Amino acid sequence: MSTRVATARPSAPALADRSPESRGRQRDEVRLLVSATTGERDLSFRSLPDLLAPGDLLVVNESATLPASLPAVGPIGEFRLHLATEFGDGLWLTEPRWSPARPGPLPLADGTAIAAGGVPATVVARYPGIARLAFVRFEGDVPAAMSIYGEPIRYGYLRVPEPLERYQTVFARVPGSAEMPSAGRPFSTRILEAARRRGIGIASVVLHAGVSSLEPGDIVTGAPPLLPEPYAVPAATVEAIARTRRAGGRVIAVGTTVVRALESAHDGCSLRPSRGFSRRYVSPAQPPVVADGLISGLHAEGTTHLDLLDAFLGRAARERAYAHARAAGYLWHEFGDVHLSFRPARA
Amino acid sequence: MTAEDRRRAIVTGASQGLGELLAQFLGDEHYELLLTARRREPLERVAERLRRRGAAVEVLPGDVTDAAHRRAVAERLGPAGRLDLLVNNASELGPSPLRPLTELPLESFRRILEVNVVAPLALIQELAPALARGHGRVVNITSDAAIEGYAGWGGYGASKAALDLVSRTLAGELRTAGISVVSVDPGDLRTAMHQAAYPGQDISDRPLPEVTVPFWAWLLHRDPAAVTGRRYRAQSDRWEVAG
Ligand SMILES: NC(=O)c1ccc[n+]([C@@H]2O[C@H](COP(=O)([O-])OP(=O)(O)OC[C@H]3O[C@@H](n4cnc5c(N)ncnc54)[C@H](OP(=O)(O)O)[C@@H]3O)[C@@H](O)[C@H]2O)c1
Repeated sequence: MSTRVATARPSAPALADRSPESRGRQRDEVRLLVSATTGERDLSFRSLPDLLAPGDLLVVNESATLPASLPAVGPIGEFRLHLATEFGDGLWLTEPRWSPARPGPLPLADGTAIAAGGVPATVVARYPGIARLAFVRFEGDVPAAMSIYGEPIRYGYLRVPEPLERYQTVFARVPGSAEMPSAGRPFSTRILEAARRRGIGIASVVLHAGVSSLEPGDIVTGAPPLLPEPYAVPAATVEAIARTRRAGGRVIAVGTTVVRALESAHDGCSLRPSRGFSRRYVSPAQPPVVADGLISGLHAEGTTHLDLLDAFLGRAARERAYAHARAAGYLWHEFGDVHLSFRPARA
Repeated sequence: MTAEDRRRAIVTGASQGLGELLAQFLGDEHYELLLTARRREPLERVAERLRRRGAAVEVLPGDVTDAAHRRAVAERLGPAGRLDLLVNNASELGPSPLRPLTELPLESFRRILEVNVVAPLALIQELAPALARGHGRVVNITSDAAIEGYAGWGGYGASKAALDLVSRTLAGELRTAGISVVSVDPGDLRTAMHQAAYPGQDISDRPLPEVTVPFWAWLLHRDPAAVTGRRYRAQSDRWEVAG
């Protein structure tokens, strides 16, 4: 999930308007930009295992993407309901939209009866400060409705609708993300096999990403500029990270969601097993301390993803890497190319 | 949904501020509500407003320090009544403007403790059988003043610190009865109490109580066993559960 928080807008990057598979390639056939203090290198994602050392640990997000966009109907007629995050017992944080391309806010007062994917529901409350988001309580089987009527949430830059399978990473195990944790998308079984042979470990977390379509001014002043999302960092992952550290290996987070989950489980002194909801905002003012390296997609200017990258790499190094990526024609967004970088302190 | 399936909640101090916001949220979540506060009129106005939103609301004006009032609250539930949620929200700040502990009249200090610690515990004692029947939740509203030792906030802060320990202890003692107990610090909010702590000052930079809605949506849908005994900050960037 990402929030626009600034307006700086350098020359427009190239957008991935479809998946590699729709371009006749395999999922691991994307480009890999590697940032180091000495400069940028342009590689293929398939070379990733060779760039890591035996004893390094990849931490991946096991969240699977939901078909979270449902056709809905209410007193205002037909609309679409994007299910961002399940709070429990049928209560969801949602984004009602006129259509995939046309956001709200929609005039749906608290208490309004609606139906989405055929399931009756009631608008419970607005999200504070963000009129386009509302808590909705369902009286029925939401997962079943999603499996019949749901589609993955898509944004306007996609040329062709991609099927749900294309929104799943090879790590996907626990359904719950409204938007794909996309940094894990280029991983394939063959890359995982090569990494395993090289002695690179894999550990997992879960962070279910909500919707990323927030707009400037959406966030209540003083509140973290992110929405609360479910996360879990299991004991096995905490132990794997500690073992990696002791042996001098590096911890590589696969995606900004993994960085946020790990930081949410860090209590200021140490990493502990942890689960709950988090809106931890990683930025230069609240920098990350757990992961040494980050594999991430290329993110739009002014999003909270970029604040996280700035915190990770340093602002100047990140801007240099992005200028290089724009000039070299890297593809942005969830079906695009990826970027490997390291925190300067431990690189 | 029939009236019998409806979850029932009691919120003290529900005529304004955080209590009113919570009552509204719970009403929209289809809880049947019993609301209290000392002054009848503001309380009736809130009840009317929530009924217009479709909520089932009863009011019982009274002071939480009054044993007869607390008994009346319990009697409203009936002899075999079930309670799903008790929110101890009514609270006493002490004299405004705030003053240092050396100048806090002991009568004020006793009153603060009476409202903020003794009354919440008394209400829990009174309602424990009904809470046990509902496998209910108790939410005690605390404050960061319970931890920080802010100058001027000593009486109020000490009462909230005591309430925090009451919450933690009760959580253990009531676990086998199936009752969960949490402490919630709502964070700074633009309310009458906050204004009384800063008389004459502009507090418009503080958020309205609605800023806590995502937290209530989260807490009230967690498994009670996973949250009992914990202390939460509603405006924090992370809410953790056990296990
Ligand atoms: N506002 C903040 O910044 C802040 C920060 C941290 C914690 N809190 C906590 O949040 C809770 C709500 O505070 P608030 O700011 O919403 O306060 P508020 O606006 O002053 O509201 C207090 C409510 O409690 C009622 N009340 C007060 N004393 C009572 C008594 N003895 N018996 C029954 N009802 C009583 C009041 O109505 P009557 O006057 O008619 O009785 C009113 O409905 C309190 O526990 C407070 O300590 C607030």
